[in-house]
Amino acid sequence: MRARYRPAWPLLIVLAITGASVISFAGTHQQNQQDQRWFEDVTHKAGIHYRHHTRRFNNPYAEIMQGYTKLGAAAAVGDYDRDGFEDIFVTDSCSTCKNHLYHNNGNFTFADVAEQAGVADGNDEENASAGALWFDFNNDGFPDLLVVRFGHPILYQNLGNGKFRNVTKASGLDRYMNAIKAIAFDYDNDGYVDLFFGCYFQPINIFHPSTPRFFPESFENANNGGGVIVFHNNKDGTFTDVTERVGIHTTGWTLDLGHGDANNDGFEDLYVANDFGTDRFYVNNGNGTFTDKTESAIGFDTKKGMNADWGDFDNDGLLDIYVTNITDDYMREGNFLWHNNGNLTFTDVSRETGTYDTGWGWAGKFFDYDNDGWLDLYVVNGWVSGGKESYVPDIFEMITKPGVDFSDARNWPPIGNKSLSGYQKKRLFHNENGHMFKDEAARQGLDSIKDGRGIAVADFDNDGRLDLFVTNADDEPYLYRNVLPTGAHWVGFLLQGTKSNAAAIGAQVRLTANGQTYLRYVNGGNGFASQSTTRVHFGLGKATRIDAVEIRWPSGLKQTLPPPAVDHWYKFIENEPASSIQVLEPRR
Amino acid sequence: MTRNFCSRLVATAFIISTMCVRLSASNADYDKAVKALGARDYTTALRYLESAISDDPDNVRYASEYRQAAIQARDFDRSVQFFEKLASEKPNSANVHLNFGFAYVDKIPAAGSITQVILANNALKEFTKAVELQPNWINYYTRGMSYLFWPKVFNRAPFGVADLEKALQIQKPGLRRSYYVKTYVGLGDGYWKTDDLKRARAIWKEGLKQFPDNPELKARLAQKGDELKATIEAGFDPGKRVNTDLKELWANSQN
Repeated sequence: MRARYRPAWPLLIVLAITGASVISFAGTHQQNQQDQRWFEDVTHKAGIHYRHHTRRFNNPYAEIMQGYTKLGAAAAVGDYDRDGFEDIFVTDSCSTCKNHLYHNNGNFTFADVAEQAGVADGNDEENASAGALWFDFNNDGFPDLLVVRFGHPILYQNLGNGKFRNVTKASGLDRYMNAIKAIAFDYDNDGYVDLFFGCYFQPINIFHPSTPRFFPESFENANNGGGVIVFHNNKDGTFTDVTERVGIHTTGWTLDLGHGDANNDGFEDLYVANDFGTDRFYVNNGNGTFTDKTESAIGFDTKKGMNADWGDFDNDGLLDIYVTNITDDYMREGNFLWHNNGNLTFTDVSRETGTYDTGWGWAGKFFDYDNDGWLDLYVVNGWVSGGKESYVPDIFEMITKPGVDFSDARNWPPIGNKSLSGYQKKRLFHNENGHMFKDEAARQGLDSIKDGRGIAVADFDNDGRLDLFVTNADDEPYLYRNVLPTGAHWVGFLLQGTKSNAAAIGAQVRLTANGQTYLRYVNGGNGFASQSTTRVHFGLGKATRIDAVEIRWPSGLKQTLPPPAVDHWYKFIENEPASSIQVLEPRR
Repeated sequence: MTRNFCSRLVATAFIISTMCVRLSASNADYDKAVKALGARDYTTALRYLESAISDDPDNVRYASEYRQAAIQARDFDRSVQFFEKLASEKPNSANVHLNFGFAYVDKIPAAGSITQVILANNALKEFTKAVELQPNWINYYTRGMSYLFWPKVFNRAPFGVADLEKALQIQKPGLRRSYYVKTYVGLGDGYWKTDDLKRARAIWKEGLKQFPDNPELKARLAQKGDELKATIEAGFDPGKRVNTDLKELWANSQN
């Protein structure tokens, strides 16, 4: 006799009641999440609101230069005193303005200690601060500070006691360059990070130019810019210019540099974002030289490259690249989201993924703001937000003039109080499983309309939720605290090299959880006008368990770690026993 | 007097016979070009078409097919240079100026964003010359649409609307041509670009009465807000190639 299935009615009723309440709770919770912004503007509360001032020039071309030099609002994140809390260095640009070193007090407040530390002076009549970079040039474990300038850069050595010493002259870096960006990575894997400068104007004194012909010669393929300068780290506190020797030949109007290992061969490759023309892609040959693979990798573009950040947005184990350009009513360039095809070629998928149009883009950074395991993108934008009148017709008049010499600054119209791509809303692109991005900026409180420049991503309170520091030209910055309420899991690593460079720049971490392997890596300052944390962060979503962690160090060493517990920052030193991994304990 | 008359007659006969010879030469060149096009030999086709157009500069078909061949060959500069030279030699040919303008337009998708602006501006100048020489439907329609491509900051959309209204006036009393539907679509887009949605919808509706199966009109009338904006703006994307093939003018002229 067949047993008859009899429903347990009482049980079903109980389930129905409790289930309904669970659903109802989940619904309310979801509604609360939707109502709440996940980023809170804490700029003033944190004491980090000093505004940026653009340099005003005092030369015959000053009024014209005003329209093209609204730059210099930059930020770099680094834990300079190794207390376990990330600090921020912020540049200002007017001739009497001081730069800021914001020491993190550990409670989401900051104190400007630039004067005491000896790093406040970055501006004078002959130099204007344009960028900054923390990098440990002498492998002593303390990040040193490079102030990138139109003029001469400054290298401050971190003495490890909260003070810095200007070692520019001794280092061999004391030369005139109109640099706007620098990144550091160990291109020859000799254990010391090298320096790559991105220069906008050619190296003429733009404060007192001897010729009016120092503007871009073309809007689409200008080759009279400053290009890239490479300095090899001699391991003794000095650097040597090896630009020619390593095979980097570009004289574009470089605005940003980004490095990453495109083909996973253990050597860092280089993307150069150039304004007024062709971006460049250099493949590291593994023998201390690079090959220009622009044509085969990305093709020759005529756009206005502003940003180059690398990240594996589709979790396929290959690093992709995000580049911002100008996309507005009058110029529809579109950004590049270069999907890595795995054979040193890239395909632009910006249209398909919804990341094409961000206005006049500047920094665009990959980061996982909701800890769901997919890298999201935050992009700031806007050139000049001035009066109601548009500068576009003035430019149009110039470019349609037959035979006009663009390189002659005198032919460019002054911008006055007009606007050009101003008052643009920032974009927070939420990654929808690696296929599409959806703009959540307004919902999450990140849609400001200031003229944004740099984005520094870091976890300032060590809670596993990535926060943002945003610089704005001629304006106050924003410090956005991530108050994500979902409880999604995460894990993070601070790596220290021994055979590799001390900051482990270039180290890759592959973490497996929930059947998915994620690739993240330590970058040495990618992204326009900003440097994010050198820590490696993984969002894990619902995963409460990690299955595997593998680190590939720049030295070539591969180490497998015992799966750590989720929701902690860990510190790990190269070549130490895997069991020595320790939870990162801030000193305060 | 009689001698004078005779010499005039001889001269006229000479001109007519020369024209006939040139036209038959251009026909022969065109036939050779068609053969070359069939073999996808664009270089040869362009050469024969250039010869045919030089002999018969007002031939819309030759000029249009020449540009389409240049697009296939991606030899945009050759096309621009050819029409530039021809326009200087035949400054009173509206067809030459129209196609010279289109030669600039054909190059736009292959150009950088700033060059696109310069090309569009050059094209507009040639379209204006064509309108001045011959204020007919194709010239008004073309210039009107050209104005609509310009960003709002240049405030050129009202000029586009004015041209398209003239094109509509021209087309209304005559035979109904299949391509006349484009005026309804473009004029509605022009009204939309000048923030007059009511008139845009009215003209699209009027167009749909004339051309009940037109998908572009149907889509516009079915959409609103951002969806409509996306549809209209997709048609004015400088990165996308505009169809400048004029074959509809001589093929299937009645619908």
